[in-house]
Formats: sequence, structure tokens, C-alpha cells
Amino acid sequence: MKRTPALVVAPVCLALALAACSGGGGSSDSDGPVELTFWHGYTEADGDVLQQIVDDFNAAHDGEITITTQVNPWDVIDDTFLPALSADNGPEIVAMPAERLPVYADRGAFVDLDDFYAGDDATPHLNAGALDMVTVDGTAYGVPTGFVPLAMFYNQALFDAAGVAVPTTWDEWVAAAEALTVDQDGDGTPEQYGLALADHATVGNGVWPSLFYGNGGAIVEDGQAVVDSPENAETLEFWHDAITAGKISPTGVDGVSGDSLFSSGRVAMYIGGPWMATVSEENGIDYGIAPIPAGPEAQAASAIGVSMALTRQADQAQQQAAQEFFSYFLSREESVAWALGSGWPPLRTDVAADEVDENPVVAALTEQAELGRPLLPGVVNSTDVLTAVDDLTQRAMAGEPVDDLLAEAQTAIQAALDD
Amino acid sequence: MTTAHATGSRTRAYRAPAPLGGRPDRSLQRTRTGGRRNRAALAFLAPALLIMAVFVAWPMISALQLSFTDASGFGEAQWVGLDNYARIFTDADIRDAVVNTVVYAVLFTPTAVIVALALALLLTNDRLPFRGLFRTSLFLPFIISLAVAALAWSYLIDPQVGLLHYWLRGMGIDLGNVLQDPTLAMPAVALVAVWKNFGFYMVIFMAGLQEIPGSLYEAAKMDGAGAWSRFRHITLPMLSSTMAFVLIFAMIAALQAFDQIYVMTGGGPYGNTQTVVMEIYESGFRKLELGFASALSYVLLLATLVLSVVQFVFFGRREKES
Repeated sequence: MKRTPALVVAPVCLALALAACSGGGGSSDSDGPVELTFWHGYTEADGDVLQQIVDDFNAAHDGEITITTQVNPWDVIDDTFLPALSADNGPEIVAMPAERLPVYADRGAFVDLDDFYAGDDATPHLNAGALDMVTVDGTAYGVPTGFVPLAMFYNQALFDAAGVAVPTTWDEWVAAAEALTVDQDGDGTPEQYGLALADHATVGNGVWPSLFYGNGGAIVEDGQAVVDSPENAETLEFWHDAITAGKISPTGVDGVSGDSLFSSGRVAMYIGGPWMATVSEENGIDYGIAPIPAGPEAQAASAIGVSMALTRQADQAQQQAAQEFFSYFLSREESVAWALGSGWPPLRTDVAADEVDENPVVAALTEQAELGRPLLPGVVNSTDVLTAVDDLTQRAMAGEPVDDLLAEAQTAIQAALDD
Repeated sequence: MTTAHATGSRTRAYRAPAPLGGRPDRSLQRTRTGGRRNRAALAFLAPALLIMAVFVAWPMISALQLSFTDASGFGEAQWVGLDNYARIFTDADIRDAVVNTVVYAVLFTPTAVIVALALALLLTNDRLPFRGLFRTSLFLPFIISLAVAALAWSYLIDPQVGLLHYWLRGMGIDLGNVLQDPTLAMPAVALVAVWKNFGFYMVIFMAGLQEIPGSLYEAAKMDGAGAWSRFRHITLPMLSSTMAFVLIFAMIAALQAFDQIYVMTGGGPYGNTQTVVMEIYESGFRKLELGFASALSYVLLLATLVLSVVQFVFFGRREKES
């Protein structure tokens, strides 16, 4: 072939041009400000507040640092972060559900932040559980942006109508749920349930961990599976009996359908996250927030965590700039602003509930903050552990023998931890 | 071709190729113009080939390479030889996913093909009124987005808000929570897939049916063949290459089932609808085990290839026999 046909040349040029265009998100020219890209999934009112914090930070660092946010739903971030980062085309800062952080940290996606914590003023005041969720093998790889214990949301109107008090123990809880379950036409399928107890894919994957803690059980402790315990067997049997005997909860519910059952007024009590406050208001539900009723052994709630991390794509200047932003974000003033705007309790333990009482939801959740326990902190393969827990609880609620299920879950979880 | 003579040899390059064993004295000329033709064809194909090379061939080669490593997408990957492949054949989760995928394929493939063929036969019948309308409406599910179809069906069969439940309950039938029922979930997602996809297979069958000469049926009728025997001895044998195409396509679609099931059940209840492709997704994007996910993709590819070839040979032989 003497002459290369123009048709062949054109696409090659195009490809090269595209490649040239796509060379990385933020860059740090020595002249201009340091540019950072920040991916997060705060898509509601919380997103606006976070944007405001970023804007204020940019204004305070005019000409030095510019952070550009990119908002996507959390699962989209999870799906696109890996390919983006491996093509050096990802963000410098990324926020994600806290239990997703260890796997990325373990694979070397994030910059170690031990030095940042050693030098930052906020460190001694941060919620210890939230810090546990950004720590993998003793090293900090992220900064918490949210840590909130699951809480019980209840429908005030239904409670008033039935004349029931807000329960504080498991026995009261089941009794209240029975009183609030209504099967008007007597066909065996209640029209109104006292409780929606999700049996898989629960809110923040935390409903069953919370119940296990309540009876003195756990799932993973010090890197070992401890799910196969008499305490957990008791917990599963207690709730299975309550649901089959009293039909107090529909079965097969997950976090998403549970949210919609509560917001449509068809269940009186629900274990949910802070967004249930907004969802309830939007649907005209008169709601109240209470701690998850205490179990026989403890009052505890699994916490939903969100963490942000600094990716290994960031160069030295960008790392510096990002840490400056983390410092700003964790400062007392921004911490309060973020709590009030996001509806999540403050991450600093030195902010008291009465400082955030202009948002009653935040104040209520702040009072419960000490009940929150981190979910699977430092567990790299949280995916398989949570799948095993889902299998366990869904089968147990369907009536399969609890002892066999627990033994099976124990093996599966230990295998995931040993991976 | 009169115009070819009038405008000279340039246009002649575009005439239809001569059948094999054409006149030998023109073979030299054919090769020369053929070479030029190939070059022109290549030039026109180049953009598409380039895109294929970048987006299909290159990822396939990289995936093959990855499948022998413990790559996570970040940092250095270690060569692990055949470890990933060995794990595929020992991992209990993968074994369950393979069983699920086979069950799904067995539920989906024959049902989709039979429904498509039956409706194609009905729609090619001249006596049916409003054929165009039926054809379009039956094809519609195929062109709507998979996620939309999956979500719509999830709502329809939801035990709390589902319309289908409401109707069936009126008739005294209680389906229960279909998508959370370990035995019903798989048939349910397979049925929705049939509803979603049969339109495509139906249209292909209709094209195949239209190619069967009417004279065959007339002759058979004169010999006293009934409807069943005409279907059995004319339609089915004459459709066998179309059938092979549809079956292979439907089977490949079944083995690659992912999006619709992911939206409807997320692999649940307790992993009962978890397919092989979902395992690939989970290993690659949730557990960041790209090496293992690549190896699993290659095993699935090979299995699909083998099954396709088996079907191909089977139908090829049957066609020869008839």
C-alpha cells in the first residue's frame, strides 16, 4: 500500500485526540491553583450543604485550591470508581459508604492519613466509632463524613389511635407491635403492621447487627467470625416467633420496601436512617424518633457510616490541598453546619445536642450517637460477610432451623475474613 | 450489465462476484480489480475495525492477561498462573451460580422459543385481522429498556402494592411474595425475561416462515396432509436454520442473564437467582478481584462457545438429513 487512505488516518487521529483530552481529572500546574475533583453521593439537601462548604473553602483559598465536586448516586460511584482510578481518570477525593472503604484501601487505592490525624486539632474530638470505620490494619485511610446509629421511627398518629406508648425494651416492642397490627377483614393478612422488620438488604445493613448487639451477640470481633453464638440463636428465634405468632411484620421486606411501607403509613414502627425524617415529612407522616428498644443485654445500634478518602491519584500538592480541606471540614464550625444541613449528628463529640437543636432530628440523633457501633470496621471483604448475614436472617425468618444456619454463616464469614 | 460497458472498468469492479469456477481466462483481471476492491473495502471498514479493536479485541486480550493475575485494578498485579481458574471449579458460590444459570437457561430458552414460534405462526396466518397492530404490540416489550421493564414487573408483582396481586386476590389466588420466595423467584424472573425478549425471536421466525414456498403447503394439502402434519413435515424442517439461530441466540442471552435479575431480585432470595454474570460483577466491582472476575468471564465465554458449536453441529446435521 503506497498511500495510506485518508479513511484509515482519520479514526486514528480521532482516537489519539480523544486520548489526549482524557488525561486525568484534576491537574496541578505550577502556575494555577491546585485542582481537586471530589466525588460524593449526597444527592439531596445534604448535597447542597456540602457544596456550600466546598464553595466556602474554595473562596477562602482563592487562587490556591479549587475543589470541583461531582455528584452521583453511591452505587454509581462504586461502579465507576475502580475503572476511573485505574485509568488515572478518577477523583482525588472520593466519599463512599464506610463499609466499602477497607476493600479499596486494602488494594492500595488510598493514601495513608496517619500523619494527617497526628497533626490535626480535630482528632481527639472525633467519634471513635466513625474513626474505626476508616481504619484498616491500624492505619487510617479516610475521614468520616457521616456516622449515625440506626433509630426507630414511629408513626405518631397510629400510636395515638391505638393508645400505645413508645417501647423501650424488646418485650414492650413486640407488645406494641401486636397492638398496632390490624387485620380488619380477618383474612389473615393484616392491612396495617406494627413493625416492618427487614430480613435482608436492610437499611445500612444494620438492622440485624443492631438486634444481635441487643442480646449480647456480634458478627465479627477482632477479625474473627463470632456469629455462631447462643445469643444470636436466641435473637433469631425471638424475632421469628414474634413475626410468625403475631404477624407483627410483613416478611421478605428489604430496606427499600421498608422505607416505602413506613412512608405510606402502612406500618407503625420502622428501623431506619436519618433520611426517614425527610421522607416522612414529604409523605405527610407525623413521625417520632426513638432509640432502637434495648435488648435483654444491651442498648446498641449499628451505625451507618460514610467516609471520604484521598486517592493515590493525587500528587504531593494535591494531597496537601486535600488534607487542608479535611481539616476545614472537621473544624468545629463546619462540623455544626454540616450536621444541621445534612440531618446527620455531628462527627465531633465536643458538639452537644443543644448546639444543634435548631434541627430537632439532628438533636434527637445526637443524643443517640453514643449507642452507635461501627459496622464491620476494617473488614476488607465486607461484601461476602453481609451476604452471609442476609442469607442467615432471611432463611431464619422463613423458619429454617437456626442452629444449622448459624453454623453455615459462621463458616462463610470466617472464609470471607480469611480471604 | 450494460452500464459497466459504457462507463469503463471502474464500475465493473462493483459487479456481483462471479460464481466459483468461472471462466479461467478472466481470472487474472479479477484478482487485480479484486485487490483494489479489497483495499477500498478495508478503507471503509477501517473505522469499524478500529473501534472493534480498541473496544472489543483489546479488552478481551487484557482480560485474558488479567485472568492469570491477582489484579485488583490498582497497583501491581502478581502472576498467579491458573489459581483463578482452579478456584472457579472449587468455589461453592460459583457452583451455585452455575446451577442457577443452568436452571434459568432451561426455564427461559425453550419457553421463549416456543412462545415466539407459536405467535409467529399465528401472525403469519392470513385470516388473522389487525396483524400489523398485534405484531407491533408484541414486539414492543423488546425495545423498552431492561431496567424499566424489570422495575415495572417488580411493582406489578409486589405483594403490598402490586396490581397483579390485587387482581389475583380478587379471584381467590394468593401468590405470596414471589420475588422473595426461594422456589418461585427464578421462574418469575425467567418469565419476565420471556415476556421481554420473545418479540425479537418472533420476528426472526416470521421472516423464516415467509421464506417457505406456499406451493409446498398446497402440494401437501392435495396429498391430504392435516395442519399438524404440515407443521411437522414442512414448517419445522424448513425452519431448521432459523430455529438454530434463535435457539443459539436465546441460549446465549440466558447464559449472560444479569441486568433484569439484578434489578428484580439482586440475586436473592438467599442467592437463589444469583447468576454467573452476577458473580463476575460482584467479584470484579465489589470485591475488587479483577483477575478472578476475568477468569470467570473466560470460562463462561468458553462454555457458551462450546454449547453454541454443539447446537450448530446438531442442527447442521439435521438439515443435511432432511
